[in-house]
Amino acid sequence: MSGLDDDYDIQDPIQQENEEEDNEQQSQPRASGKSRGSIYDALDGEDEEEEEEDDEDEEDEEPGRDRGRKRAKHRHRRNAVNRFLDVEAEVDTEEEEEEEEDEAGGDEFIADIGPEGDEDDVNRRAAVNARLDRRERELNDQDLAKIAQNLHERYGRAAVRYTGDMNEVPQRLLMPSVHDASLWQVRVKPGRERDIVFSLMRKAIDLEYTAQPLSILSAFQRDSLPGMVYVEARSAQQVNQACKGLVGVYPSRGIVLVPIEEMASLLQIKKQDLTVTPGSWVRIKRGKYQGDLAQVMDITENGEDVGLKFIPRIDLNPRDDANVDGRKRKKAGTGLTTMRPPQRFFNYEEVVKVHGRKQVSKRNQVYVFQNDTYKDGFIEKDFKLNALQLDNVNPTLDEITKFSRGQDGADNENPVDLSIIAEASRKAAIAVLQPGDHVEVFEGEQSGVYGVVDSINQDVVTVTAIGVDIDGQKVDVPARSVRKRFKPGDHVKVMTGQNADETGLVISVTDNVVTFLSDMSMQEVSVFSKDLREAAEVGSGTNVVGNYELHDLVQLDLQTVGVIFKTERDSFRVLDQNGQVRLVQPHQISMRRNSDRAIATDSEGHELRVQDNVKEIEGEARKGRVLHIHQSFFAFLHNRDILENGGVFVTRCRSLASLAPKGNLVKPGMDLGKMNPTAAGGAQGGMVGSGAMGRGPRDRDIGAVITVVKGNHKGYNGIIKDINGTLARVELNTGNKVITIEKQKLYRRLPDGKLQPLNAPYHQQGQQRNMGPPAGVPSRTPNPYTASRTPGWGGGRTPNPFASGDGKTPAWNASSRTPNPYVADGSKTPAWNASSRTPNPYAGGDGGKTPAWNAEPSWGSGGWGSASPARPADSSWSSWNAPTPAAAATPGFLSAPTPAAYTGAPTPAGIMNDPGSMSAPTPGVSGNEDDHDSDFGLVLRDPLIANKKVVVEIRGSADAGWLDGDLEFKKGYVSSAFASLSEITALFHPLDSPGDPPVHVPTIYLQPIQPEEVEDHALVLRGIHRGKHVVLRESAGHGVWKVSQFQDPEAFTIDEEKLVKLYHV
Amino acid sequence: MATIPPQARSKQLRACLLCSIIQHPMDFRKNGCPNCEELMQMKGSPDRISVCTTTYFDGIIAVIDTEASWVARWQRTSKYVRGMYAVRVKGRIPEDVEAELESRGIKYRPRDQSDQD
Repeated sequence: MSGLDDDYDIQDPIQQENEEEDNEQQSQPRASGKSRGSIYDALDGEDEEEEEEDDEDEEDEEPGRDRGRKRAKHRHRRNAVNRFLDVEAEVDTEEEEEEEEDEAGGDEFIADIGPEGDEDDVNRRAAVNARLDRRERELNDQDLAKIAQNLHERYGRAAVRYTGDMNEVPQRLLMPSVHDASLWQVRVKPGRERDIVFSLMRKAIDLEYTAQPLSILSAFQRDSLPGMVYVEARSAQQVNQACKGLVGVYPSRGIVLVPIEEMASLLQIKKQDLTVTPGSWVRIKRGKYQGDLAQVMDITENGEDVGLKFIPRIDLNPRDDANVDGRKRKKAGTGLTTMRPPQRFFNYEEVVKVHGRKQVSKRNQVYVFQNDTYKDGFIEKDFKLNALQLDNVNPTLDEITKFSRGQDGADNENPVDLSIIAEASRKAAIAVLQPGDHVEVFEGEQSGVYGVVDSINQDVVTVTAIGVDIDGQKVDVPARSVRKRFKPGDHVKVMTGQNADETGLVISVTDNVVTFLSDMSMQEVSVFSKDLREAAEVGSGTNVVGNYELHDLVQLDLQTVGVIFKTERDSFRVLDQNGQVRLVQPHQISMRRNSDRAIATDSEGHELRVQDNVKEIEGEARKGRVLHIHQSFFAFLHNRDILENGGVFVTRCRSLASLAPKGNLVKPGMDLGKMNPTAAGGAQGGMVGSGAMGRGPRDRDIGAVITVVKGNHKGYNGIIKDINGTLARVELNTGNKVITIEKQKLYRRLPDGKLQPLNAPYHQQGQQRNMGPPAGVPSRTPNPYTASRTPGWGGGRTPNPFASGDGKTPAWNASSRTPNPYVADGSKTPAWNASSRTPNPYAGGDGGKTPAWNAEPSWGSGGWGSASPARPADSSWSSWNAPTPAAAATPGFLSAPTPAAYTGAPTPAGIMNDPGSMSAPTPGVSGNEDDHDSDFGLVLRDPLIANKKVVVEIRGSADAGWLDGDLEFKKGYVSSAFASLSEITALFHPLDSPGDPPVHVPTIYLQPIQPEEVEDHALVLRGIHRGKHVVLRESAGHGVWKVSQFQDPEAFTIDEEKLVKLYHV
Repeated sequence: MATIPPQARSKQLRACLLCSIIQHPMDFRKNGCPNCEELMQMKGSPDRISVCTTTYFDGIIAVIDTEASWVARWQRTSKYVRGMYAVRVKGRIPEDVEAELESRGIKYRPRDQSDQD
C-alpha cells in the first residue's frame, strides 16, 4: 500500500501539471512540453479514462481522507489563477521538491511569485530541465510500468477489458478429452435441480478455505432433464462428498459416469426452439384471456416480451358499483362471479357507457382503458413469452375470420392470410388422405390436375387423374401438393375439429375452405377441406353428448339451469336462465331436469305448459314453442327462425302470451291465489312441482293393495307401484318382487279381505266410516299440502317431485305419508304396527290405522285456503277437537262439502273422472269421531302424554254396537293405553262411579274432553308445548286460553283444541 | 467472484447475453456484469440491464473451478469469474455492443447455441 502511495505522490503533481498544461495549451509557450507530454502520453496510452476514473474513485472510496480533498481544493485554486501559473511555472520549479513533500506548500506558491527575481531564470530553467529529464527517464524506465500495473491491479477489476479470447476457438476443439474431469450424473428430487446446483456452488464457496474444500469443478442442470444434476469432478468420491448433506440429492441412487462422447451433448440439448415472428398466431396461456387466439405484432429485442393483438374481453356488466356510472348499470347476472366476459371488439361508446368517460382516454388512434391500449377494436398488450402457447395453436377458421372481420363486423379490405393456418395444417392434411378421396393438385407441375387417390405411399400419393388429356393415367404427386376436392352439391361429413360429425351439402368451395349447409342446424359451416369427407349419411350423433341431448334442461349449479342449444364434440353450449351462454362439459352438469309437468302462468293468467306455442308480449315479440319452464318463472323457448343460440331463448313466463288461447281460463272473480294452486304456487315462485300436483297422480290406482286373480301370479298380493296403460307394475308382498302385469288381472283387496275390480268405485264398501276413496280425493288436492311441504315431515325425500322421478306427485305422497307428528318424531306409530300395511289411503279399511286418515280432517276442516305449514301436522288434532265443522262432524257438514272448494280445485278432471269420489261423502264427512278417536289412540300412546290421566268421553260406541252402547257418553280418565295388533285400547276409569273397575275401551270410541274453566288442569296435546301439564289462567277468547305450566308463572296462549282436560284429584 | 443469487428459483434471475452469467438484477445494477461490464455498461442502469440480460435461459451451471473445468471451457467461460452461468441464453446482445465487438475484431458468439462449429 505504502509503496503505491509513494508512486502516486510522484505521479500526482505531474498529472496536475499536465492538466494545467492541457488547459492552457494555446497560451503557454511549451518549454518542457515534450517531456511532459510523453508522460502524459504514456499514461494516456495506459488508459486515460481509467485514470480519471481512478481519481474520482479514490475520492469516492476514501472521502474521509483529508488529502484527497485538499488536493482537489488545491487544484481548483490553481485553476483560478491559471494565467499566473503559466508565467510562474518555471519559477516555481525551484521549490518543487519541497512541494512534493508537502503539497500545502502550494499555498505559498503564488505568494512567492513576487519576491522571486528573474535574474537566475535561465540557469534555473536549465537545471530544472535536466532534472526533469532525469526523472522522466527514471519514470519511463521502471515506475511508469509499475504505476500502470498497480493501478490496473487495484482498479482494473471493475472494467476488465473484454477480450473474447475464447471466442475464436471453434467449438469442436473444445470437445472434452481424457484429461478433462468427468461428468457424473446424480439423481435429485425433481423440481429441486436448480436449488441443488446453487447449493453446490455455495457449499463450494463456504468450504473453499477449510481443511476439506470441495473438489468438484462445476455442476449444472438442464431444464429438459428433470430429476438430474451433473457434477464435474475427477472421481465419484468427490461427487459424493459434495452431495453429502444436501437435501433432495439421492447419491444412493447411483452416481453415474457420463461417457465422454455424451458430455458435450448434455450442454447442447436444445429445446425445440419455438420462434415467434410478427404475424404468427399464439394462444394466451393464463389469465382472463386464457386460450384466446392472439396475433403477434412485435417482439422485444431480447425476445422476452411479445406484443400481441387480440380481441378484448371487456366486462360490460361490471359488478363493482364503485366505478360504474349508476344510471346505466345493467342488470347484473346472478351467481356468475367467475364468468369471464365474452370476446368483443372494443367499442368506445359501449365502454364509456358502462365504465364512464373518465375511464377511457384517447391518444392518437388508440384508446387507453384500464391501462390497456385498444386499437381498431383490438386490445394490444405485451405478454411474456412464457405466458404464451406457441405450438399447437391450431387457430380455427372461426377465430381467424373473427379477427379479420374487425370491429365493424364488415370484412376487412385485406382479408386474413389463411396461408398461415393452411401451412400449419398441411402436414396434418397428408394424414387424412384416403384412397378414394377426390383430390386436386394445387401446386407443382401437375397443378390443376384432379383425380381420385389410388394409393398413398408415405408422402407420395398416386392419383388417377380425371379429365382432359391425361384421363385415367396415374400420377404420383407429393401428398402436400394435393388437397381434397369438393364441389357444390357434394354431401360431406366433417371428420375432425369442433364441427366433427356434422354433415351437410357443400354450397361453395374457395381454395381449401369448404362451406356447407349443415343438415342439422341448417346453418352454413365453413371448414377446411382436409377435415371433410364425402359421406352419404346424415349426421345424427352430435345431438347427444353423454347423457344429455339437445334442448335438455340441465342443472348447472345450485342457482343456474340452462338449456342445451348446441352440442359440440364433447361439450355443450348452454343458455342459462339469465340469458348467458356457457360452454359446459358434460361433467359440469349436475343433472338433467324434467319440466314436462312444470306449469306457469302467462301474462293473461293462462296456464302455460311445455310445448305450448307462445309469443312475447313485450320486447322483441318473439314467438316460440316452450321447451322448458323453470321455477314457473323462466321459460325457455325455441324458434327455428331465430338464428341466435340455435333458436333457443329465455324469457319470463309473465311476458308470454299463448298463441292459441286455452279454454281453461279461470273465471274472473275467483280468487286465483286461493283456488288455483298453479297460479298461487307459480306466482309465488314456488316449486315447479307445485303446479304439477294439480293434475294429480298419473293413476289413482297406484298404491292400491291388490291381489292377482289370474295368470302365473294368481293369488299373490301386492301393491301397484306404477301404471302404464293397461299394464301395472306390482310389488308383490312375497319376495319383494316387482312384476308387470295387466291391470285386468288385478283386483283390489279391500281391508276386509274382499276383492273388488280395480275400476269399481272403491268407496262402496261396508263401513262408511272407513271411507277409502275420499281419502284419495283430498290427497290429490294440492293446495293444503303445497304449503305444508315442510322439510320436517318430508324427511329424506327430495322436495322436487321431478327429481325423484318416480312419477308420484307430491300430493300423492302427501296423503299416503301423512304428516303425522309421530312420523316426524321418527318413532314408530302404533298405527303402522297395528295394520302392518303400506300407508295408502285405500288401506285404511278398518279403524283407520294409517296416518293417512289424519290428512282428511284437515282438508275438511277448511284447509283449503290456508297454507300454513303447520297445518298438516296439526290436522288430526284440529279435527277431533272439533272447533271446526269438520271436526264437529255435524250433520250439516256431512252433506256440505264446500262447493267452492271443488269448483276451484285445480284439477277438476281428476275428480270428475272418479264418480266415486264425487258421490262420496266429502272427507270431512267421513271424518267422523271414530277416525279421530283412532288418532287419539296414537296420542295416548305418546310417551309424553301416556299415563297422564286425560279426561275423555266415550262416543260412538252405540253406533258401533260396542257393549251395546252401554258406556256411551260416559266420562272418565285414561290411565294407560295399549296397542294390540288391530286396535289401541285404553284403560278407562269412569268418573261418575270411581269405585267401578277400569274398563278397556278401544280408543276409537274415546274423545278427549277439553278444559272449560279457569284453573282447570289440562295437558297440551300438540305444538311445541306438547306434553306439558298446564293450568288454564285466563280466556283469551275464541277458544284460546292463556295458560301457564303447573307451578310455573310464565304464561302462554294456546288453542283450546290443543288441550285436553286432566283428571285432577 | 460473482454474487451468487440467494434464491435459485427466483423468476427474476437474469443471464447476461454476452457471458451468460446469472445474477439477480439488483446485483447487475450494483456491480454490473463481472465479466463484460466494460462493454455492457449495466452498472446502475436498469435500462441497459433489461437489454443486455434476459430471464429466458435454460440450464444453470455452477462454475467452481473456472480454469480446470471442462464445462466452463466448453461454455467459453473459463476466463470469467466464478459464479452461476446459464447453459443457453436466448437473445442477442444489443447492436451497439455487437458493433463494438466487431470493431475490436472479436467474434461474437450468441449464447443461444444457434451456431455450432
